[in-house]
Parts: sequence; C-alpha cells; structure tokens
Amino acid sequence: MDLDEFRDSLDAWLDENLDELTPVAPQDTTLDAHHDGVLDAHMAHLSKVKRMTYDAGFMRRGWPERVGGLPGSTLMRAYLGEAVQARGLAEPGLYSMTEVLAPTMIDYASPELAATMVPRLLRGDETWCQGFSEPGTGSNLAALSCKATKTDDGYLVNGQKVWTSLAQYAQRCILLTRTGDADSAHRGITALFVDVDDPGITVRPILTMHGALEFCEVFFDDVLVPFDRMLGDEGQGWGVAMDLLPFERSTSLWHRGAFLHRRFEQLLAQAPDGALDPLAVAEVGQLLYSFRARSRATQYRMASGGTLGPETSVDKVLVATIEQAVMDLALDGLGADIAGADDDISTHWRTEYLYSRSATIYGGSAEIQRNIIARRLLDLGADN
Amino acid sequence: MDREDLELFATSLRAATERHTGAALDGALDELGWVEALDADPQAAVSVLFDLQGRANVTSSALERVVASHLGIADVTGVGVVFPTLGTWDPPGSLAGDALDVTGFGLPSLSTHDATVVVVGAPADKLTVALVATADLDRQPITGVDPELGAFAVSGSGLRAADQSVVDAAAWSDALTYGRIAVAHELVGVSRTMLELARVHALERIQFGRPISQFQAVRHRLAEALIAVETADSLVSAAWDEPTPLVASVAKSVAGRSARTAARHCQQVLAGIGFTTEHDFHLYLRRFLVLDQLLGSTRSLTRAFGEQLLHERQLPHILPL
Repeated sequence: MDLDEFRDSLDAWLDENLDELTPVAPQDTTLDAHHDGVLDAHMAHLSKVKRMTYDAGFMRRGWPERVGGLPGSTLMRAYLGEAVQARGLAEPGLYSMTEVLAPTMIDYASPELAATMVPRLLRGDETWCQGFSEPGTGSNLAALSCKATKTDDGYLVNGQKVWTSLAQYAQRCILLTRTGDADSAHRGITALFVDVDDPGITVRPILTMHGALEFCEVFFDDVLVPFDRMLGDEGQGWGVAMDLLPFERSTSLWHRGAFLHRRFEQLLAQAPDGALDPLAVAEVGQLLYSFRARSRATQYRMASGGTLGPETSVDKVLVATIEQAVMDLALDGLGADIAGADDDISTHWRTEYLYSRSATIYGGSAEIQRNIIARRLLDLGADN
Repeated sequence: MDREDLELFATSLRAATERHTGAALDGALDELGWVEALDADPQAAVSVLFDLQGRANVTSSALERVVASHLGIADVTGVGVVFPTLGTWDPPGSLAGDALDVTGFGLPSLSTHDATVVVVGAPADKLTVALVATADLDRQPITGVDPELGAFAVSGSGLRAADQSVVDAAAWSDALTYGRIAVAHELVGVSRTMLELARVHALERIQFGRPISQFQAVRHRLAEALIAVETADSLVSAAWDEPTPLVASVAKSVAGRSARTAARHCQQVLAGIGFTTEHDFHLYLRRFLVLDQLLGSTRSLTRAFGEQLLHERQLPHILPL
C-alpha cells in the first residue's frame, strides 16, 4: 500500500467513523474541581481511538511486522497522527507517546519481549511511561542516581524519578538506572523495562498548573527487575536515551504541528472582530508553515532510513516556539475569556495556554536544545 | 538532474560565484549552460545559483532571466527587466493610449542589454509585456544602503514600445512567485555567510583567556541565528514542491525575517570589528536590506497574508506528505 492509498482509505474510514472517534466534551474541565476526571476521560478515549485504528489496520502500518506491524512507510504513522489531530480525535501529547516509546523497544528489547509488548502499546491495551528525570537530574541527565544493583535474580532498583508522565495509568516504564559507580556519568547507565505494578513501586501524581495530574513522582524501593527486561546491554543506557530523543523530535512533532494548525484556525474563527492584529496573526501562520516544511523534510529522511540526529533540535525549538506563539495569540484574541470565563471553550483555551508554558521546558529545555545546536551543528566545541 | 550531475553543477557554479560578479559572472553562467538549466531543471538552476550568489555577495542577470522566463520572452538572455520599485510588487509600467510610462527599479545588469522588458498590469485582467530600448529609459544610479549593488532608479514617460504583446494575466503572478523564491534563496545564502563570519570570529576572538565561542551567551546567539537560517531554508526549498503565490510569498517573508534575525545576532557577536568597513559583514547586512525590499518586503507581504487569514479565518493546508 502506498501513501496515497493509505491517505485515501484512512480519510474515508475516519469520516465514516467520526462520531464514534470524536471525544465527548468533558463535563467539568475547571481547574479547581475533579481535575483527574478530565485526564481519565482523555486516557479512556485515547485507548478507544488506538484500538479502533489498530483493528482497522491503520495504526499498524509503518511498524515492523515482528511487533504486530504491517508493511508501509513511516510516513503513514506521520499521516495517521496528522489526520487524528486535524480532526481533534485525541489529545496530541498522549497520542504521540507511542512514537517515542515503541521505537526504543523495537531497537533495544529482546525480540521476544518486543513482540509481546509493542502490540499492546499500539493497540491501546497498555500505557507506558518514561522514567528518565530525577529530583537532582533535570537537564543534566547523565548525573542520574536511581540505583540498580545486580543480584542473582536480576537488578534491585532503589531511587526516585520525577516528571514521569502518565505513570499512574502506566503498566510499564522504560527506566534509566545507575549500574556503574556514582561518578560513572553517562558510561554507567542501564535501561530497564519495568512493570509498574511490581512490589516496591509507589506512584504519586503531581498537580500541574494547567489542572491535570499528568505527571508523577515514582519511588522505587527494592524493586526486582529480571535480566530479560534489560534494554540493550548493561552500561548502554545512555545510548538508549540518546537514540530515543530524536524520535521525540520527529513524528510526534509532526502530529503536534497538525494540532497547532487546527487550534490556530479555531482561534481565527472564535476571536472577536478586530481583536487580532494582522501582522501578529500572519507571523504565527508563517511559523506554522515553516515548521511544516522543516518537519516534513525530517519525516522523509526518517522514511528513507536516514538517521535522525542533533538537527532535530531545530525542529524541537521551532515547535515549542510555535506552541507558545499560538497560545500567546490566543491571549491577544481571547484574553478576557481566558482570564475570567468558565464556559467550555474558554476553559479549553485556558488549559492549553497554561500547558503551552511547558513547551520550552519538557523534552530537553530550550537552553539545552541551543547547547546541542551550538556544539553539534555549529561545531563551537564543548560546553563549559 | 541526477545527484551526480547536480553536485558537478553546484561545484562549477560555486567556483564561478567565488571568482566573478556582474557581466563577468553572466559570461561564466552562459558558459556553464545555466540558462539551459533554467529551462530544463529550474529548481536546480535557481536554488543552487541564488544561494551561492547570496553567500558570495555577487550580482548577475539571473533574476531578470527568471522573471523574463515567466513572461513569455523567448530569449531571456537578450533583455533586461524593470522591477517594481523597492517594497512594492505591482507591474511597473502603465499605458495611456500608445504612450508607455514606467517607474521602477533596475539591477546593474539592466544597462548591458539593448532591450528592456516593461510589464503593464492595468487593467487587472490584462497583462501587457512591452519591449523598449534601454537607451530610452532614464537610469539614475542609486547609492542607497548598498552602493556595491549598483542599482538604478528607472523611469520613462511617453516611451514607444518596439514590441508589445498581451499575455495571460497570471503570468505576472508566476513571475512574482518564481522571482520571490529566487530572492528568498539569495537571502538564505546571505544569512549563511553572516553566520559563518560570526562563527569564525567567535572561535578566533580571545577574551578573558578563552575564545568567546565558549561563552553560552555567544553560543546561544549563534544557535538562534542557525535556527532562523535553517527554518527559512526548509521553507524556501519546500516551495519547489508547491510553487504557488501563497507559498512563495510566505517563503520570502520568512527568509527576510530570518536574515534580520541572523544579522542582529551575528553583528552582536562580531561586535566592534563587525561595525567597521574593515570586516566584510557590513556588505551582507547591506545586501539583505535591499533584497528584503525586492518584490515585496517581509512586512508588506506579512501584512497582506495576515489580512487574508483574518478575512478567510482559515490557514490553507500546504505541503502534504
């Protein structure tokens, strides 16, 4: 099946099933009440969208057959997410986590483990999370200290993670641990695939300022992880993490671009006459087009088997800039409602405006991306 | 062109733009078959040459040839073109009966041709392409911000056209589209050299006992410039997949804004020396200021786009996978 056939059959299928795929607006989305109910609804709906697109075959295209995939270009994964976002069928950050986590499993898990687990993620049977950051380890990821001690039966994990998105919903976690000496830096890190219901794991959700219990602290207290749950070899965890990051900046960003396009158009439709300045509107439109051109080239490079590297930091900087630009424009056009109205439309803008403040922080901060660009793309030598 | 041909073509063009400018560069382009390439593979011809022309800060007749090729001119090497006055994009000519009036902008190569194309766009449903004797045009050299460019303010009234034809009104829109894509490539090239000048300076300039490239404040400025340049390059290159008036005008706006961003950061990194004429930076700053105005400025194109968006209340979908 080529991309055009995929596009045509997917579009027709989405239109046929639109009612069932469209989320019901959450009844109560205010910041100060029942905040977890909203995310519960998003998660349940996401699971349904993934299941339906998987059963219809669309979600399987572009993934290796050994993990439940069907033949096709990775461009089909990009287009599926674009089509889902263009119709507002799933929350974009939650939807695209598959694009970050599944490639890591495919590249580093044992073939048996990948074949068992990846289909569950694609089909929406399971939620996975990514245990990277720690209280003392934000941008300086190589300093992580969550300890994994080798025993006869496996690794015994002790320590803490933070900013672990969706850990309270997750069945599995891709976890970075310290297996080397405390000062072994990036050399002494090992990646493990952990069952979140294992004894010794405690998950404590954190309430964000946009009103969601989206991420968590995760505590590990003598958690035993069998050896066959290691991703890559012992001490290879840094490579696993570095290979994962470009995936965070490719297909999933293409999906987010489609989401931002839709929200930008909704803003044009909803802002009162005269509220938006033509120059400000046009600059955001130009940014959306620029990102589309940039990310499109990245999608093609990925589809032709090219490696994704530090150049994807430019994509990441751009999409974060645009997300904040769209929401700043929303503040221009709908500021009074964002500040002081509680209807569904205003609340939705308020939630997304507040969430957009994190776009330059998560997934490698804006400053870290610029450090990467300076060192790797401009060849300015090591950071001091 | 296949990949190997393209690399060879680019290498030859690079050598030509590094050695020649003006009429000498036109001669070199003729020898390399650039005009034939413009016909056979316009994307390769335009994207490679204009980027290099910007990088090397040189001039040629190439933009006139690109525009002429979309106006139904058979031999694009034989004519000059009057461009719209800087900052505008309406056709520069007007007709009153048989008398032709023109007010516009001329690139230096204008004077090397005996005949010059003047486009008349009114009434709006009709496009007249007139050929006039270059000698009949009043050509006042413009010093402006970029004296090295050697541009002219072109005017004339009551001119008699040696030849005149009415072509499809869409031809001007086509000429603008491809002209803007070409100038956008040149702006990207100008920006790349500004960045390279600043990058080299940062690596060589020692302060507080180390190269200033080690200071994060400097590194982030250069990163900002690279983000701007790469962003513009992506869109300008993608414009060849969808060469519509919309995509071309957005690409030129983005290339102009990116050049301004690159200029700001690079000039700050270059500091004192970049403010003098002893360093080449100022030549690139000057060139970008003129190129940004040619065939519509970033600001005017952006405003027009914004008014369209607010009127239609949707952002057209472009560049499908």
